[in-house]
Amino acid sequence: MTTTPVTDPQGVGEPQLAPEETVEVRRPDPWYRVVWSSSKARVGLVIVAVYVLVAIFAPLIAPHDPTNSDFVPLAGPSAENWLGTTTNGQDIASQLIHGTRISLLVGLFGGLLATAIALVIGMVSGYAEGTLLDDALTFLTNVALVIPVLPLIITLVAYSDTRGVPLIVAVIAITSWAGAARAKRAQIITLRNRDFVTASKFAGDRTLRIVFAEIMPNMTSLVAAGFVGAATGAIGAEAGLAILGLGDSGSVSWGTMLYQANAQGAIAQGLWIWVFVPGLVLGILITAMTFVNFGVDLLSNPHLRED
Amino acid sequence: MTTATSPDALLEVDGLSVRYEPKRNPSLTAVSDVSFSIRPGEFVGLIGESGSGKTTLGTALLRLLDRPARISEGSVRLDGTDITALSEDELRPLRWRDVSTVFQSSMNALNPVIRVEAQFRDVIEEHSGLRGDAVTERVRELFDMVMIDHRFIRAFPHELSGGMKQRVNLALALALEPKVVLLDEPTTGLDVVVQHSILENIRRLQREKGFAVLFISHDIGTVLDLSDRILVMYAGRIVEENDAASLLRDPMHPYTKGLLGSYSDPRAETVRITYVPGRLPDLTKDVTGCPFVARCPERISLCESVTPAFAPLAGGDVACHVARVQRGGEVDGLAAADVGEPTRRFAGPEFVKTAAESTEALTRPALLSVDSVGKTYERRRGLKVERTVAVDDVSFELRRGEVTALVGQSGSGKTTLARLITGVDKPSTGRIVFHGPDGEQEVAGFRGRALRGYRKHVQMVFQDPYSSLNPAKRIGQALERPLVNHHGLSGRALRDRVRELLETVALTPTERFVDRYPHELSGGQRQRVVIARALAAEPEIVIADEPISSLDVSIRAEILELLGSLVREHDMGILYITHDLLSARMLSDEVLVLNDGRVVERGPTLDVIRSPRDEYTRRLLDAVPNPFG
Repeated sequence: MTTTPVTDPQGVGEPQLAPEETVEVRRPDPWYRVVWSSSKARVGLVIVAVYVLVAIFAPLIAPHDPTNSDFVPLAGPSAENWLGTTTNGQDIASQLIHGTRISLLVGLFGGLLATAIALVIGMVSGYAEGTLLDDALTFLTNVALVIPVLPLIITLVAYSDTRGVPLIVAVIAITSWAGAARAKRAQIITLRNRDFVTASKFAGDRTLRIVFAEIMPNMTSLVAAGFVGAATGAIGAEAGLAILGLGDSGSVSWGTMLYQANAQGAIAQGLWIWVFVPGLVLGILITAMTFVNFGVDLLSNPHLRED
Repeated sequence: MTTATSPDALLEVDGLSVRYEPKRNPSLTAVSDVSFSIRPGEFVGLIGESGSGKTTLGTALLRLLDRPARISEGSVRLDGTDITALSEDELRPLRWRDVSTVFQSSMNALNPVIRVEAQFRDVIEEHSGLRGDAVTERVRELFDMVMIDHRFIRAFPHELSGGMKQRVNLALALALEPKVVLLDEPTTGLDVVVQHSILENIRRLQREKGFAVLFISHDIGTVLDLSDRILVMYAGRIVEENDAASLLRDPMHPYTKGLLGSYSDPRAETVRITYVPGRLPDLTKDVTGCPFVARCPERISLCESVTPAFAPLAGGDVACHVARVQRGGEVDGLAAADVGEPTRRFAGPEFVKTAAESTEALTRPALLSVDSVGKTYERRRGLKVERTVAVDDVSFELRRGEVTALVGQSGSGKTTLARLITGVDKPSTGRIVFHGPDGEQEVAGFRGRALRGYRKHVQMVFQDPYSSLNPAKRIGQALERPLVNHHGLSGRALRDRVRELLETVALTPTERFVDRYPHELSGGQRQRVVIARALAAEPEIVIADEPISSLDVSIRAEILELLGSLVREHDMGILYITHDLLSARMLSDEVLVLNDGRVVERGPTLDVIRSPRDEYTRRLLDAVPNPFG
């Protein structure tokens, strides 16, 4: 087989009239511009960016070591202790600033891990829809959906020897992937019968490549939205665990602050800043992440973009 | 610039412009300064390619435009009332009672959870005094009009076939005896035979009931058959208007000639069809000169600078400098000597098929033998097993350098045969033998690695170029996959081969296409990429499953021409699957007509088309629109 260009047997050259034109169609906006176009997402992104900066530069920003208990206990706000001190004589402001690190770390890795599990299980089961493999994976997903998550997390954490951040991340991820896996399975079922998938088979691609290199790029917006949602959930879950006293006792997080405040009867003693402030920063962060998701939604649903 | 506005016009459109003004993208004028009128009982066709603004115009006439589109100028008068000035509440009683419509996507126009009868009842009770049994009686009448059995009155939409749904939509549109009915490609996506019978039905009803019709289509063949008068639309403007007979006899605008060029008499010894190359101009930019200039074979230098006015000429109206001067009109700065004689032909690229070529091709050695193949699908329902015979006792041979066409309606077993030949399914009876480089091999025996190896020799071209290219991948990436997998190419050799492939399908200069995403290409260009991808494996056999049916009629020849040249130059065999006998005539040497999984007629294409022996073949042939017949 030769590959000479098509010679026109009639002598009526095809490109002779009009050169092939392509440029009329505008490329769609890049994803960052789409996300930025939503005012809610802009607010959310700015707030999240502030949190990230605080987390990165925590040792520079925080006036003291968060575990240092040399201050006068139960002091009110002052130039020395911006938000006062705890019953143990620790600086609340420094604890708050260092706590950002744990929350964001858990959010990032918990979100990533949950998304990764959801992707693998959802994509494989959706692509194999109707087979035994799909039945097994769907069963697993359904089980993960109906198991009461909170008791499971508490049990898992309570029985583990080391309560480091990696454990918290892992526990949160393996209890929160199921819903996202369902969504991805549904999405790939609508995509897998497109002709381009058949075309990939004819191009000689293997199944895993088809699923993850051909089909998955068409679901990036769904995956991104899933990640932001999972990360938000992970931040909340970490705080929740810590409040129950199941957090990483060696490190300072907003959740452990709340746990300590509760344990020391902060409200009864009128130390409302100690309780209120960690809850507030946590609330703001989760709200900001939800706002970011409004922008990510625009990626997957172009109909929301107009007007 | 108003057209012949007769005082008795029912619908009068004057200087109508529609602009799309999205916030984040540049705005564009989709319909610009369109004027025409429709008299009571008149059947008017509106034709133009996808993107020419015809659907936007239709939507504007109904005042159904959604943001970001809006009517920016002009008026639409219905019976003397300017509906562009009415409020939504004033419009509501007019819609459906005076103007009704049948939309393009018949499948989605009916509410899936409500019985058909209730949908009729809603409409009739809202707009008329009929109640109770009188409504039922009216629904029966309407079902008789569109020739559907009364037992479907109580059905849910999913119980109806595609053709029946569209008939129900037509009946719904006619329920209140409107004065004007707007039909927006009402038969696109339906089978040729079904399409034919629905169009006949529409024409008969229109004559009987005397309503006026505006029929929107990209297919000049169907419109010419039906219409009294034709409007040709290009880039948002009406470029020619004439009665159907005059337009066919003496098309004035080169674009009209281009559209007409996509039809030819399939019975002729040598068939020629032309196509309009290139694509619509970018409407977000100001158009200077004639909008058609880049694609026009008759252009002169004046066309690039001065926009031709749309004005009466030789009994019709046209917007073309050349046509005007050729027919004795006057254009500033242009003398009769500057232009040639008027022609009927579109002097663009064309595709020619002669009978002699086919005779030669049928003597070549066989590549694939299909030997009394049958396929029965079994479905278990409780204790019973339901058997569906999809293909029954089909035999044929596909030869090197030859095209065999499988022709039939949907459900005739064409696609099942393609699945059997590509090894996706195994035949229940009979065998399919591939005469490849490794000797004779039975297709049903391929599994796993062997199946992947077989697909190096057998490739597919799909029906819809919009779904067969991965929207997330660049053109170059799509072409690389088969080269990497089937030929182990990499690095420089890979890039060179991708460029060669793009040249083969005439997408040049190639560097402008390698990094494009599919949505940046026109339908015809995409289909060429799909063909290039099929060629990348250097196959012996290409199965083309309706490769042109989702493309505009005016560019179909572009793809047929490419496929035809591949057969000649690459010595491959093409199995061309279609429901359209005209395109089968253009491309194929041998034709098999399938009906209910059986071959009802088989023979050299020209013989079958000239003297069809089977009743079913004749019905398929009748359904091919033939403006010249």
